[in-house]
Order: sequence, then structure tokens, then C-alpha cells
Amino acid sequence: MSTVRIPAPTGEPAPAAPPAKTSPGKRSTARLARPRSRRDNIHGWAFSAPFLAFFLMFLVWPMISGAYMSLTGKSLTGANSGFIGLANYAEAFGDSDMWRSLGNTLYFTLISTVPLVVIALALAALVNMGLPAQWLWRLSFFSPFLLASTVVSLFFAWMYNPELGLFNDVLVKLGIPPVAWLNDPAVAMWAVVIATVWWTVGFNFLLYLAALQNIPQQHYEAASLDGAGGWRQFFSISLPQLGPTTVMIVILQILASLKVFDQIYQITAGGPGGATRSIVQYIFEAGFTGYRLGYSAAISYIFFGLILFIALVQVFITRKRSA
Amino acid sequence: MKQQDSGSTNLNRRQLLLGGGALFGGLALGAGLTGCGGAAQAAANDIRFWHLLSGGDGIKMQSMIDRVNAEQAAFKVKPTVLAWGAPYYTKLAMASAGGRPPEVAIMHAARVPGYAPGGLLDAWDLNLLAEFGVRPEDFSPRIWEKSQFNGQVYSLALDSHPFVMLYNTEVAGKAGVLRTDGRLTDINSPAQFLEVSRELQRVTGKHGLSYGYLGDGAQMWRLFYTLYRQHGADFVLDPGKPAQVERDVAIDCLEFIKSLLDNTIATKSGDGGTAVAEFASQGSGILFTGVWELPTMKTAGIPLGAATIPTLFGTPAAFADSHSFVLPHQAAADETKRRGVYEFVASMLKGSLSWAEAGHIPAFQPVVRSSEYAALKPQADYAHAADIINYDPEAWFTGSGSDFQSYFAENVQNVFLGRDKATAGWDAFISRINTVLAMPNPV
Repeated sequence: MSTVRIPAPTGEPAPAAPPAKTSPGKRSTARLARPRSRRDNIHGWAFSAPFLAFFLMFLVWPMISGAYMSLTGKSLTGANSGFIGLANYAEAFGDSDMWRSLGNTLYFTLISTVPLVVIALALAALVNMGLPAQWLWRLSFFSPFLLASTVVSLFFAWMYNPELGLFNDVLVKLGIPPVAWLNDPAVAMWAVVIATVWWTVGFNFLLYLAALQNIPQQHYEAASLDGAGGWRQFFSISLPQLGPTTVMIVILQILASLKVFDQIYQITAGGPGGATRSIVQYIFEAGFTGYRLGYSAAISYIFFGLILFIALVQVFITRKRSA
Repeated sequence: MKQQDSGSTNLNRRQLLLGGGALFGGLALGAGLTGCGGAAQAAANDIRFWHLLSGGDGIKMQSMIDRVNAEQAAFKVKPTVLAWGAPYYTKLAMASAGGRPPEVAIMHAARVPGYAPGGLLDAWDLNLLAEFGVRPEDFSPRIWEKSQFNGQVYSLALDSHPFVMLYNTEVAGKAGVLRTDGRLTDINSPAQFLEVSRELQRVTGKHGLSYGYLGDGAQMWRLFYTLYRQHGADFVLDPGKPAQVERDVAIDCLEFIKSLLDNTIATKSGDGGTAVAEFASQGSGILFTGVWELPTMKTAGIPLGAATIPTLFGTPAAFADSHSFVLPHQAAADETKRRGVYEFVASMLKGSLSWAEAGHIPAFQPVVRSSEYAALKPQADYAHAADIINYDPEAWFTGSGSDFQSYFAENVQNVFLGRDKATAGWDAFISRINTVLAMPNPV
């Protein structure tokens, strides 16, 4: 799985490999080639054991038991908990709220991933231009990422307040009519996205900045000599060089956005009228406030299937890229 | 070569030590985790008490607990406060399903039908209660009726906390809607209420009424259900059957609420915080709210009156719920602790005068009949609400902070905002409720 190529830190165009005189390298390959002894195996398992135990207990077993649970009517109180085959799945596929929540999740993923990638790139490019006090910019853009979701949610819930909030106050002062940020179904998801972008863009920004700073300066010098301007250099050198980083950021971002829950639950609680309810929130509601653990597990597995599909598509795309 | 070898044995030894350490650490951690629960249970006279009261209510509750703890040495109540609404109720249900919940907890009485039939609660023993001086006749009839489920008593109400109206006597006086005894003039019809609100608006220059509801299904439901019940209409939820409701009445109520939210009488875009702030800064004359906002308004120092929501549609009615003591189901109940719990709850009920300071109406009638309570103003002015309270329609998914109230918000908020027709919002709400009623009953 050689998916992500990290730009060579030194920037030496690859061919100049270090002279192959070092014997330690040779020796280490020899060691690897030696057939593994029983003792090595035992050590290997011993070291993996703590992880394996947790992995089996907290990941593999819950997955198996959850899959079984999705085939039962299990409820929190223990009533009607028998095996009911695929009835939960049948109900879920006919549940308009399930589809709506799933749609909301995909919508959020789409409209959050794009700005979270583009804005991160723009911020990184700006900071990398050689602004004074670079550390200050870096800190400002990244620091929101360090806040807990509850803090971010409270900030934004206050700022979105229709009567007392900062946003509407500014809008009114500018002569623009106030916006019902969290109470207009057409706006609420964007409000959540704005909060999310402010909160998490710093992480992608940092990845981009690191990648930008790893692009060898010689490329830009050569381009300048050939008469390329700033934009030309950005599109012909920076952007292609950032390709692998972009792939990685997009993958991480899609996965992060799909599992959105915290900020939505805390800012809008899924409202207005379910317009921002994500699938994870629906799973939580079905299982914990609605008591229906079996049904909730079935929806989780439908969501799991979707993520699996997206992951496979990504693997396919990245494999094609690296091929 | 030699160097390398010794290096590799060193590495092995270190690996082993590290591996052993990790394993040992893991074991210790595991032991620590189980030990934790054990230690917490080991303190023989600790009574774990969960509640969802924060803010002013929380401080009051803590001082009442402290008092009971100081009065006797037989037990020590250790409260855990969790966030109101779904976060609290999911945790309480999970803990009870696991069989090792707190010894006693506060629940909203209207949530009990979602807990008792599933075996998540244990019933109260009336004989033992009587031993500690708490008898059925100490509660007003509506509250006592609500404490029962299938013929057994599952919840003991500490209070009832109706949805009421607070008014600013100074603003009301200037608007000429104050009676000579200092109380708001009698209002008996929707038209009259609109008229009074407009008078108040002329005085404040902002709004006549503050009502925060945006994004808050509970607030929307409280006002709606008050008005719905004032029509004398029933609301019956019977799993397996469609909801039995009076559609015309419901739509009438929604239309009336919508007519209040015309940006003159009250703002369309009011949430809880906005409404409280507006009323506290004299930006309106009336606040529709729960009694629990009373201390905030007293602190704000505005000239305050309080009353139940005026009877606009014939039948006096007020939405309310009760903070009630329940016994989460113990897999193995400890008899000594149970006795401690009964004693604790009895003391809390008898000492609920200080709870009344937080705005709530004590459920324990000896307290309500006391002269100290009668002197408590404006609380005493709405004490009669206990006789006209209406809890949520009974079903496993209704009650304070339940999904039911979220469904209401999801479908009705747009009606309040004037974006949807009342008929459309109501029909969508009922269709959602019917879906839930048709689901397999999980309790």
C-alpha cells in the first residue's frame, strides 16, 4: 500500500542515492532474511498481546456482537429482544428519517470538505509567502483546533443567536437583514459548516504548510529564471508537488466529516426540523433515547457499508494514482 | 560483529522488560478499573443520588442535601449532577439496565412510563414511607395519580413545576392593566390577551410578551399543551394505534401562538436566552416561562408578579411536570441503604419549603399549607396551579426532554415562524408520532 508519497525532505532529485558502501545496511538485510526462530515468534506475540487483547475486546468483538444485535429486536430495557432476522434492515430502508439523516451527513461532508481543503491551502500559501511574524499566523490559524468541541459549539451558538448574537449584530449594522442562522433549514447546515471550518481548518493548514515548506526552493528559482510569475509558479510547481498531501487531506477530511456529531448535537441538536441531524445522531437517538439498540445497530451497519464503499473507492483511486 | 551481537542481546533484554512492563501495566489497569467500582460501592453508608438540576436549582438542591447529611449520621448522600434532557435520561436508563444504578435519582414524573414498565425502576413501599411520615394524602390528587403506574407507586414528587407567566407590575401599571390589588387584570379570551399584550408593548416600546422557543421543543410544547388542554381536548397515545387528538383544536392553538409572534407582541426569533434577557431588561411586560426562571427574575430586580397562563379557552389548565424521586432498579438491593433512601426522601419532602424558593410548587402538602409558604411571594400566587396541572400524554416516548418534544419542535417550529401552515406542521407531527406508535414497543 504505497499510497502517500512524502516529498523528499532534502529535495535532491532522487538519483543521487548515498554511496552503497555502508555495511550495516547489508547486515540488516541479512538479519531479515534469516528464518525466524520460535523465540522470535513468541517475542512477537508477547509484544502484540496487549494491543491484540484490546483490539479483540474493544473492536472485533463489539463488531461481531453489534452485527448480531442488528438482527434482534434488542432494547435497552430488555423487552422484545428476540431474533428477528432482517426486519430491522427492512425497517431502516423504509425509514425516511434514516435516509434524511444520511443525506444530511453526505451534504455536510460535501460542503465541509471542499472549504476545509481549499481554505487550508489558501491559508498555508499565504503564510508561506513570507509574511512577517509567520509564527503568529501559524498559531492563529491552528489554535482553534485545540479547543474542545463543546467550547466551539458554545461560542458559535452564542454568536448565531438571532437577537443578541455577534453575527446578526454585524449584519444589521452593515444594513443587511439578520439571518436566522440556526432556525432556517436552508441556512443551519451552513452555520454548522462555518463553525466546523473555523475549528478544524488549522489541522489541514498545518499539513499543507509543512508540505509547502518541503518543496525545494530550486524549483522556484529555476522557474523565476524562466520568467514564471507567482501564480504560474503556484499552479505549476506548488500545486502538483502538493498532490500526495492533498490526497491524504481529502481522505482524512471525508472520513472526519462523515462521522460528524459533536458540534451538530451541541449547536443545533439536529434542528431545525431535523435539517442538520447527522446519521450518527440518528443512531444515537434510535438506540439510546429511543431504547431500540437492535434497530440502532442495523443503521450503524448500513452506515458502515457506506463508509466501506467510500474507502474502497479511495483505495482504488489512490492505487491508480500511484501506479 | 561482536558489538552487534551484544547490542542485539541488550535489545532483547530491554524488549522483554518493556513487554513485561506493558503486560503488567495492562493487568494493573484492568484491576484498577474493576477496583474502582468496588471501592465506590464499598462505603457502606453512601447513598448515590443522581439528579439533573443545575444553575440555581442545583445550588438549592445541594444545600438541601447538605442539610439532610448534617442532620443524621446513618447515611451520607453523594449527588451526581448530569446535564438535563437526553444526556441524563440515557445514562439513567443504561445504569438501571445494568443493574448497578444509583440508589436514588430524580426523574420527571412524565418520563416514568418510559422506565417503569421496562423494569428500570423499583416501586416505593408505602408502608415504609408511612414509617417516615409520608402518606398518600400528603400529595394533591393530580400529582399522586401521576406517581402511580399499573397500581404501584414508582415516583415521589418533590414538586410540580408548571409553565406560567411572569409579569412586570410596573409596566402593567403604566399600561393600565393592573388591578387595584397589584395583580394583572383578568384575561379570559384570546382577543383580550392580544389587547393586553399590545397595551404592554406600547409602554415598553419593544415587545409586549417575551416567549423563547426557537430550537427548544420543550418550550413550544409547554405553551401549546397548556392551550390545547384549556380547550378541554384529550391527547391519547396508545401504542399500536394512531394518536387520538382533536385536530381542529390543535390547529386553533397553533394559529393563536402564531398570532402572538408577530414581531410586535412578541418576536418571532426569540430563544430562551433572548426572552429572559428581554424581560429582565424591561423590554416586555409578560414572560411565558417555567417557574424555575423566577429566581433569575428576582435577582434581576424587576417588579414581579406571577400567575398561571390565563384561561383563554374555557378550561383552566397548565402544562407541568414534577421532579420526582425514583428508585432505579437494583439487581441486588441493599436493605439498609434502601431505608436510608426512604429517610432521605422523606426529609427532602418535608424540607421542600426551600425548594419553593427556586420557584417550584412543593408537592408535599403540609409544606404548601404552611404560613411560611403563604408568605412566599409571588410563589403563593400560583400555588393553585397544582390543581390544574397537566402532564405530558402518557407513553414510553413522552415527557420532559424526550424525543416527543423534539418531534414537536421539528414539525411545528416552522409554523411558529410563519414558514409553514399550521395544518401542515400539525399533520407532519402526528404522522411522526403515529410512526413511533406503530413501532415495536421497546419497554
